Amino acid sequence: MTVGTRILSVEDDERIRTAVKLALEDEGWSVEEADTGEEALNAFQRQPSDVVLIDIMLPGIDGFDVCRAIRRVSDVPIVMVTARADTHDVVAGLEAGADDYLTKPFAPKELSARIRALLRRARTSDAVSAHLRFGDLEIIPDEGVVRRGGEEIHLTKTEFRLLVELASTPGRVFSRETLLERVWGYGYFGDGRLVDVHVRRLRTKVEADAANPRHVVTVRGLGYKLQA
Amino acid sequence: MRWPRLVSRLFPRLGLRARITIAFAVGALFMAIVLAVATLGLTRQNLLDQRESSARARTYQNAASAALQLPDSSAGEDTPAADPTELLESIQTPTGSNPVLVVGDRWYARSPEFGEEVLPASLRTTVRSGQPALMRFDHEGETQLAVGVPLPSIDGAYFEIVSLGELEQTLESISISLLAAALLSTLAGAGIGWWASRRVLRPLRGIGDAAHAIATGHLETRVEASTDADLAPLADSFNEMAIALEERIQRDARFASNVSHELRSPLMTLAASIEVLENQREDMPIRARAALDLMVADIERFQQLVEDLLEISRFDAGVMYLDLEEVRVDELVLQAVQMSTDVDVPVDIDSDLAGVVVKADKRRLSRVIANLLDNAAKYGDGATRVELRKRGDAVLIAVEDDGPGVPVDDREAIFHRFNRGSSAGHRRGIDGVGLGLSLVAEHIRLHGGEVWVEDRADGQDGARFVIELPAEAS
Repeated sequence: MTVGTRILSVEDDERIRTAVKLALEDEGWSVEEADTGEEALNAFQRQPSDVVLIDIMLPGIDGFDVCRAIRRVSDVPIVMVTARADTHDVVAGLEAGADDYLTKPFAPKELSARIRALLRRARTSDAVSAHLRFGDLEIIPDEGVVRRGGEEIHLTKTEFRLLVELASTPGRVFSRETLLERVWGYGYFGDGRLVDVHVRRLRTKVEADAANPRHVVTVRGLGYKLQA
Repeated sequence: MRWPRLVSRLFPRLGLRARITIAFAVGALFMAIVLAVATLGLTRQNLLDQRESSARARTYQNAASAALQLPDSSAGEDTPAADPTELLESIQTPTGSNPVLVVGDRWYARSPEFGEEVLPASLRTTVRSGQPALMRFDHEGETQLAVGVPLPSIDGAYFEIVSLGELEQTLESISISLLAAALLSTLAGAGIGWWASRRVLRPLRGIGDAAHAIATGHLETRVEASTDADLAPLADSFNEMAIALEERIQRDARFASNVSHELRSPLMTLAASIEVLENQREDMPIRARAALDLMVADIERFQQLVEDLLEISRFDAGVMYLDLEEVRVDELVLQAVQMSTDVDVPVDIDSDLAGVVVKADKRRLSRVIANLLDNAAKYGDGATRVELRKRGDAVLIAVEDDGPGVPVDDREAIFHRFNRGSSAGHRRGIDGVGLGLSLVAEHIRLHGGEVWVEDRADGQDGARFVIELPAEAS
């Protein structure tokens, strides 16, 4: 399944880049390298990869900008690498479009697990109908299509999987833990901010007014639910 | 300066404020006594002079008029003469003044108590020898003033005895007032001393408070700049010291943080490289494999140490932020134990804890529990059980082990950095640098809770580490 999956690794430290490439290749991925933001964007333009791994701290165009630039043209899964988990970097990176993050130093096996989770297809088997409707919102899981008022909305893979997960049982409240497990493959100790930022991103796309969401609703202290 | 120094020698145990107060009081008392004595002396002299001169003047006048009315001894019998007794009656004297007349050898007195015998003999002799005289003397406990004027025309003399008792009374009441004034001024002196010393010491107290605040971690505390020429240098140098201290501590914290950050990059390379090597482990000669295993273990330890140092430097720099959410405590503890290396530890959960929620940073609190389990594994022959209890509004999480326990004297120090307790160092094969428990303490403090170590609940040998967290009102 992973054979032939191409990872673009953007990292300015040559030794780290080489070591990570070696380890990821051992895991069966094919790895392309870039040592600056510019080079990463050029490489991605030449041939889009299947997953992008970006170190936030890059000279020149930083990781956030690279993230945003790639997001403008692609819904490819992006994993960012931060120095610390407790700064605003994480939230800023997720808001720039990253799907998940890792903190240095991480084990490449952990990175592989994250990539595999991000590449999973939306769980369509649970969905009762191949065609889900929530008011003006229309979801077709099999085709990976979402429409609002008949107009197609563009979601990233992770946003789409999050939406389909919420849609699988309309009206049910999903806790952050449940969503972390089902969408990202994390256990109990996953970072709830992943869910929060993705819900926020999702709302800007599927809601008419993201500040007053009608469909993706917060249930205080419990989690999120999808309603018509 | 002299007084307080003397006072400080006399009362070496007293505080500066008490000494200043005493010095002020003693000074005021001394001044009051000097003033009182001087006032009393001067008043007395003045009053006496006044009395004497008025008595003298009146006596002369009365003597002159008596001489006019009495028969001249040199004159003939024809001169109409007044009766001395009647004359005495007619003489105008103020109350308390008793006239005495002597004509020839006969003594006449208006008041029988104040006659010849009352007058001192020396005065009588002087006056009878032709010299006017004035004398003070005691009569029946009362001071009397006697003025005598010779009347040579009738071969007699005229005396007036004036009681000074009233004057003594006046002086007495003046001295009582002065004594009261002395007492009052002593009290006032003490009061002023107390107040002045408070004013003087107020800046010192401010500096003391600031020093206390700095000692308890408020490094940004400064004292207010003073406009007082005497105090400004003190305030300035205190603030300079505080700034230098804060900079120094921040520099240290930054240094630790920077070093730890710099270590992340080589650690990242090591972590990735070691994984590549581990993938080849089976193809390695046995010696290389052993060396690889050592490297894997120590890189892990190295990573943990860097993580701990970073966490500590975050606490020191005051930039540790918790990602707080409402968490079911039973769930969290079970998950934390499951995540730890010691999965088989029995977890004993109070039945009334079901659904009790605490405000916590899930991942940090689980690290805390993992730290306690690690600690039990390293120093306590492994954790025997984890207990979860509700106590009032708090939740207790306890980790018990099978080790030798923690001596009472070590129970506080064990939570300090790089301190593993006196007995821990003697145990063989123990790694770790002693940051774990200090991190536990800092994290729990940030969670608004407390952590301590005690004897095991069942009385067996072994330590019982207890975390107390405030439960959320449900």
